Amino acid sequence: MFGLLKGLGITLKNMAKPKVTYKYPHEPLKMPDRFRGIQHFDPEKCIVCNQCARICPTDCISLTGKKHPDPGKKGKIIDTYDINFEICILCDLCTEVCPTEAIIMTNNFELATYSRDQLFKNIDWLHENDQNIRQDNVSMKPKPGGSKA
Amino acid sequence: MDIWVILGPVIMLFLVLGFVTYAILFERKVIGWIQNRVGPTQVGPWGLLQTVADVLKLLIKEDIIPRKADVGLFKLAPVLAFIPAFAVIAVIPFTESIKFADIAVGLLYYMSISSITIIGVLLGGWASNNKYSLLGGMRSAAQMVSYEIPLVLSVVGVIMSAGSLNLTEIVHAQQTGAWFIFPQFLGFIVFLIASIAELNRTPFDLPEAESELVAGYHTEYTGFRFAFFMLTEYTYIFGMASLITILYLGGWDAPFGLTFIPPLIWFILKFSLFVFFLFWLRATMPRIRGDQLMEFAWKGLLPLAIFNIFLTAILKEVSFLSHYF
Repeated sequence: MFGLLKGLGITLKNMAKPKVTYKYPHEPLKMPDRFRGIQHFDPEKCIVCNQCARICPTDCISLTGKKHPDPGKKGKIIDTYDINFEICILCDLCTEVCPTEAIIMTNNFELATYSRDQLFKNIDWLHENDQNIRQDNVSMKPKPGGSKA
Repeated sequence: MDIWVILGPVIMLFLVLGFVTYAILFERKVIGWIQNRVGPTQVGPWGLLQTVADVLKLLIKEDIIPRKADVGLFKLAPVLAFIPAFAVIAVIPFTESIKFADIAVGLLYYMSISSITIIGVLLGGWASNNKYSLLGGMRSAAQMVSYEIPLVLSVVGVIMSAGSLNLTEIVHAQQTGAWFIFPQFLGFIVFLIASIAELNRTPFDLPEAESELVAGYHTEYTGFRFAFFMLTEYTYIFGMASLITILYLGGWDAPFGLTFIPPLIWFILKFSLFVFFLFWLRATMPRIRGDQLMEFAWKGLLPLAIFNIFLTAILKEVSFLSHYF
């Protein structure tokens, strides 16, 4: 008998507790910092070592380099860099293997589109995807006001 | 003929429809809050138009009648279920002046008319020609018939105390003595449980058990006819909440001498309390087990209701208590 009243008491108290639901499509969801979201790519840092393309388990990364425009410098600079998000599994291996952190993870995850073609992201799109970058990598980026740490 | 004879019931119908609309919204909100959610928020401000949208959806749905169904009965059943639900409101006095029919056997009228709905439900289950519907209809009929008996017997104590079957007289009796919830507490508990079972609501929602009977007697119903069954259910909540307010909570009587608040507001407050209690209970309790349902009515509630009658009869003779009984 008292169990019934106790149950009613619990539910009544629950009404005043904070809500656990998100207003998701109206307010963006905050993901934990180690979330594996859509990659951000920084062409300035890329040394065209091809390691990301080689480690990629689904072969979704394709890149090409070109000779450095300054003839006095050795090495290559990046020309095209594409990730096919039809098959990318967001496994984080490309960002782990990158020696210069040219490709890093963000917390963005909204990839839904009406056409499959739109899932093929190029270098410019990946570069502009610069919001919600993983905090570990943000510290590596040059700070606007110079290094304070 | 007085214009109010026609206009009154029409206004009442729209009031009931309004109540049903917002009772459903409020039910979803309350259950949401209890489950740490917010409930419907999308349609209209604060979700106020959610039920309107739902009903609109029901109305524009295709009207499907199964080929092997008994078409005449299939169409008759929702009508037969709804009419008594609305007819019982005729005897409910909301305040001293706002009432439709002030008949001497108001309580008896309510109890007898409301049992006609069982036929509608059983008919709906039978005419659908569907095993789940038939099972749901049979269960519903068995449950409602069984719980009707403790329900009626539990109000006998009230009738003995008030000395009348007229609902206005019953409220008057409470204005001079105490609200019947106090002297008739046992009767109130029996009435409360039996009324929830009569309304087919959790924890007594076996006839509509979605998880075992695919919604029971209205499985085959769609669109407008289904809406009518739902309307019946919520109209009965309106009726039952009014009845429990009048019988046990003193109707429009103001407690603690707070008479500056109008009687209608008091009625609505007490009424809402019961409606909230129903939603609260639904969010708390799981469904009762089928084999315990009948046992509980016949071996638990019925003896308690009869005991309450004897208790009332004895206490009526005790000199210092007779004022309250």
